[in-house]
Formats: sequence, C-alpha cells, structure tokens
Amino acid sequence: MNPTAVHKHTVMVVGGGVTGLGTALALDELGIETLILEKAPAMGGKVKDYDKIFPNFVSGRDIVNELIARVERAPGITFRTDTVISGLAETKAGYAVSMNNEQRVEVSAIVLASGFEVFDARLQEEYGYGVYPNVINGPELELYLDPHGPSGGRLLRPFDGKPARRVAIIFCVGSRSKRLGNPYCSRICCTYSTKQAIEIMERDPGASVTCFYMDIRTYGRGFEEMYQYAQDLGVKYIRGRVSECSVLPEGDIQVRAENTLLGRPVQGVFDLVSLSVGMMPCADAARLADQLCIERGKDGFFGGVDQYLAPHDTRREGIFLAGSVTGLKPIHDCLNEALSVAGRVAAYLNHHTG
Amino acid sequence: MAASGIDYGWRLQGSPVRLCADRSLMADESAHQMEKALRQMSMEYYVLDRCMQCGICSSACPLGLLHDDEPFSPRTFIQRARLGLLNLSEDELWKCTHCGHCQMMCPYEIPFLEVMISLRNLVVEQGAGHVPVSIRSALASIASGGNPWRADAAQRVAWLQGLDIPLAACEPARKVHLFLGCLAGYDPRARRTAETAMRLLNLAGVPFEVLGADEVCCGDSVRRVGDLATFEQLKVTNRRAMLSKGVHTIYTLSPHCYESIQTRYEWEENRTVRVVPFLKLLFQWMADGAFVLADTPRARVTYHDPCFFSKHQGLVEEPRQILGRLPGLEYVEMEHHGKKSLCCGGGGGGFWRDVAKGQRLAEVRLAEALAKSADYVVTSCPYCLAMLEDASKGDDRYAKLEIMDICELVWKGVRP
Repeated sequence: MNPTAVHKHTVMVVGGGVTGLGTALALDELGIETLILEKAPAMGGKVKDYDKIFPNFVSGRDIVNELIARVERAPGITFRTDTVISGLAETKAGYAVSMNNEQRVEVSAIVLASGFEVFDARLQEEYGYGVYPNVINGPELELYLDPHGPSGGRLLRPFDGKPARRVAIIFCVGSRSKRLGNPYCSRICCTYSTKQAIEIMERDPGASVTCFYMDIRTYGRGFEEMYQYAQDLGVKYIRGRVSECSVLPEGDIQVRAENTLLGRPVQGVFDLVSLSVGMMPCADAARLADQLCIERGKDGFFGGVDQYLAPHDTRREGIFLAGSVTGLKPIHDCLNEALSVAGRVAAYLNHHTG
Repeated sequence: MAASGIDYGWRLQGSPVRLCADRSLMADESAHQMEKALRQMSMEYYVLDRCMQCGICSSACPLGLLHDDEPFSPRTFIQRARLGLLNLSEDELWKCTHCGHCQMMCPYEIPFLEVMISLRNLVVEQGAGHVPVSIRSALASIASGGNPWRADAAQRVAWLQGLDIPLAACEPARKVHLFLGCLAGYDPRARRTAETAMRLLNLAGVPFEVLGADEVCCGDSVRRVGDLATFEQLKVTNRRAMLSKGVHTIYTLSPHCYESIQTRYEWEENRTVRVVPFLKLLFQWMADGAFVLADTPRARVTYHDPCFFSKHQGLVEEPRQILGRLPGLEYVEMEHHGKKSLCCGGGGGGFWRDVAKGQRLAEVRLAEALAKSADYVVTSCPYCLAMLEDASKGDDRYAKLEIMDICELVWKGVRP
C-alpha cells in the first residue's frame, strides 16, 4: 500500500503500543485504513517487555506479538517505526501530516495513542536510585523476573551478582507527591508491584519480600484477590512511606520508614530495593499538544472534551485520544479503549464528507 | 482518663473496680469541639487537612532515633490534632526542635513547623495548656531584659572592652555590623567564638561595629516556642537599633539569628539592611585567599551541619570548601550530613528544655562522630556547639574529641 497516496479515509494512529495496535486492528475490521507511527525502532511499546501482566499472569510479550502479527497480516494497515510527526496542517478532508522521514501523508483523522513515561527515580534523591547499585525500579525488576531477560529470570543483586533474597518494594515513588510535582496517583503501581512480589515468592519461597506502602489500591477485578494471594504467600506489607535508603559496606541497602500502624520507626536491610515508579505523561506530550493544538490537563495528561459523553474527542475535529495518554490504566482497559475509539472514529468518518 | 470507662461489673467492697484502663479513643462530641476550636483559633490548622498519614515525616524526624517507648511522631501528632485528641498540656508539644526535616520531606508540603508554632502560641499566649517551667522562665527573662539569663543588658557587650579588638568607627559605606546574639553576648564559650570571628575581621581588614547594649535577642526561639507577642517586641527593638545605627550590612554569628532577622523581620522591599551569615563572609575570604595559611593541626575533621543552615537554607557546600582549603586536615562525613544532618536538639526551644542524659539528640550525634573516629567536630552555630559540648561532658568516650566553631579552626590555620 502506498502510504502517501490520498485514500478515501486513512486514519493516522500515533503510537505503536498495545493501544495503537489495537486501534489499527479495530479500524481495519471496520474497513478503514490506518497508518501507525511509532517513534521507537520497534513496535510494541511498554507491554512487549512485560513477561507477565496482572491479574492473570499471562505474557504481555505474547499479546503484543499477536497484535503485531495481526497488524502485519492486515493489508489495510501500514506502519512506520523511528517516525514522528514533524508538522501538521489542516486540509479540506482532514490533515496533512509531515513526518521526520521527509514524507507527507493526508489523513482524515488522527488517534493519539502515545502512552506514558516512567518517573525518573533519580529525582527522588533520598532513595539512591542511580547511585546505589542495589536500588532498581519496577520496570528493571520486571526484566530481572523475565526468564528471557538479562539474568534468565534469576533475581540477582546488581552490586555483586549474588542472589537477592531480601527484597523491599517501595510504593508511590514519584506519585502522590506535590513536592515532586506529581500529586496524582498512578493507579497501577500497587497492582504491578504486588504482582512482582508474588512472582518473587513463588519462585523462591525462602525469600523475604516487604512492600512499604501508603495505601493498597488494588481496585480492579481480580486485583484484590491478587493482593490477598500475595499475603498468603507471605509477602509483608508495612504501612509507611520510606524516608530514605542508605547503602551499607557490602552493598546491602538499609531502608527507613515509620510503621504507621504500629506507630514506631522501622528499619530493614535488603539485598535489593525496587522502587515502584509512577507513571507520567509521555515524553513528547508537550510537543504533541503543540503540534496537534490540543490541550492537556493540569497533570499533563490529555483529556476528552467530556469525560462521560465524549471521552475520546479532543477539541480539534478529527483528532481523538485513546489509552494511557488520558491517564494510567491497566492493559485490558487500554485495549478496551482501542476498540471504543475505533467505533468513535468510524462514526465520525461516516458523518464527515471530504 | 474518662469516668465513662466501661463498667465490667467487678466490685471491691462495693466500689467499681477498673481492671484495665479503657484504651479506646473516644471520637465523641468533646473531641469534635476541640477540633472546631483549633480550626477557629489556629490559622495554620487547616494545612493539616492535606496530611495523608504516610509517615515520611516521622521516619525523617530525628526524635525517632531516641530510645523512647513512644518516640515523638509528627504524623501521630497531626492525626491527634485532626481528630481533636491533642492534649496541649503534654510534653509532646515541646519536643520538636524545628529542625525542619519533616517539612523538607513532606510530599504534601505541609509546613509542620508553622503548625507547631501556632499550637504552642495557644498555650503560651492563651493559656490553653502548660508551658514547661524552663521555657517559661527563659521567655520572661527575654521579655524584660532581652536575654534568657536575666543578665544585665549592658553585659552583652561589656566583655568586649577587655579585648584588644578595635571597634573603630569609619565611613558608613565601608563599615559592617556584627549581630552577636544571646550566646555570643553572655555565654563564655560562645564569647570565645565571637572573639575569634572578630579577630578574623581585623585580620581581613574589615572595620566593624556591634549594635551594643541596644541589641536584644533575635527572637528565633521565642517565636518558635509560640510567644509571638514577645517576638514582636524584639523585632521592633532590633529593627530600631539597626536603622538608627545606619546599618547597611550585618553579619550574624548564628544561623538562628540569620533566619529570624533575614526572613521574619518584615523588611520592606527597598530595604537598605543586608543580613548575611558570617559563614558566607568566611567562605568569601577563603575563596579570595585573604589569609596566609600556615599548617593547621593534622586531624580528622567532620562538619556538623546546623539544621538552620542545611535544611532551612541549603547552605552546605561553603563550609566544606572552607575546610578543604585548610592544609593538614583529613575530612570525613558523619552518617547524617548535609541536608540530612542530625539535629543537635537546640532549636525550637530545645535549648531551654531540660532533657535528661541518655535522652538527648546531641548524644546520638556525638556517637556518629565517634563512629568516624573524628578528632574535631566543627560546626557553625552556637546552639549546636553548646549542645554538643554539653553532651560530651563527663563522658570518657569524648575526652579527646574537640568541638569547635569553623572560624576557630580557620584561626588555628591562620595563627598557629
């Protein structure tokens, strides 16, 4: 398919993660052609790196591979990797989009599905991320737990490669903090962290996993049950936000918090500390907002014109939103939105002449 | 304890016997009334509504390092305040040393220290509770005589007569002033530090003056224990003294005086008075190579960051750079350094509280210095110096440990 020719309706999907892939597939089933733009060298976004996703512990990678395979088979879907929007102009029929690969394409509608970024834990200096080797973050822990990952699924201390059996997981890193500029809750970290805690205990029943939390927001279907299962496995939950991590001579990490339920200071020594980093609007959010002339909320995420009655529509005609761009949500909710935005786009195109 | 405790029906000679104390907290009307009263009387109470009880404050609070059965916990304090369960007559209200670590860490940016001041004010000025005797006595002395020791106002500077340090007058544009503060005015040990600072000023060729007997307490600790009325008095008196003497630059020997005068004296936008910590002047001299440095004694040195410089002002690099320029020193950091410095316990009225040995923050701090085998502990606050020296007295472990102000160590390198 020649992506630069003008077809009756081509929809541009910005972002080749699960939401973008799902959107393109749903539009394809409706007979609408799509062009997916992905800024990275490969499609699949964040989920392609997740060996297991909550609450069912199925493989995120497998889901992404299935989506990509279907996309590749679909004649109505084209995709470009290493590609971003460099400019946008309104046309009678929709938009003329220039890309960084010097090409230009005319589309009838655009779906923004550019996802999220993870909080840079170096900004919370008191935890020592980026300074102490044995302090890692949630996505890195995910890689450690992946049997196809760098450590073959063995949990090791980065400092000396020894097995990590005493693990601390610190919740709310980079979320729920006015001081750090992210006052919102990232919604899925409690759940992904509990999932990781379960994985650690299942593989190594002799391990000790302690989660330092403020609240446990395992709110979705199957999430609370996962939390209870984690407790059954012996995962410890201490209610108290960690004030600091310090390093001991052998690379062990000492964690300090208040056990607010006991009303006492608590201190523990761990092989590995994983920071449950929160999520933020995608790195290009400002640029995209500028290029597409759409607004973001105070928290930096995009929003539909009406959260209830027009959740996918932006103020700009023909430009729609789907997935984590409007706020963090579990993967199945992203895939739900891919289906719903496709329906919305199809309805829009039906009424749109040009 | 409530007379409304549960009656289990046990009797001894006909009288009800309470077998166990009723430990439940009554979320009742009287607690609700207390909460409403606090909302009405304290402007700062409302910021507590932001608290999510996460506990970072309590984890950061140095008082948690003391071996108390129930260590002071800012989070618990806030919880009780919000539920109207505070007892304003308890000692709890006076333990906070205003180090500021809690509000430095608070994810909701709750100004905990301002809340403490507001609640202490209810007790001090409105009689809503009990003020510890030692604090009450210090306040009374300051209100009448401008210093906490009931000493004569003239004595604040009379001791300078005996020294051969010229307090020469010269053209106002070149002259600077030195704000002594109560300790440098009256305390023998702090006077030695002040004297050293003055000799350095001489050596650097900087003419200076002091405010004299017109100087009164800067008011920092007075404000922080809640006596806002006396603070107003002190502020007015000191401002008048500075303006009438045509002060244009005044150096403070204490970070407490610095913060009080610089940030709380409500200077106008176009004010002519510049307030600077003496530490910054010392840093400038060292950076400019103003002194010829002979060998300082060879020693292992550690720097104790005063909270009012580190946590309140972010002033942590300058003293380290000063020490870095003194030959012969081996520098080590204590476990809690920089902005995470461990409070000496002197701020927020802590200097006036009687705290038993074995329960002092300064003792925990000295143990950290010992752990690094430091020969010298150097600081830049007269409260810190006094609290640490006091904690070291009579303890053999610290017999060889020297505690000094940074200008005293510089002086050793300048004039062996």
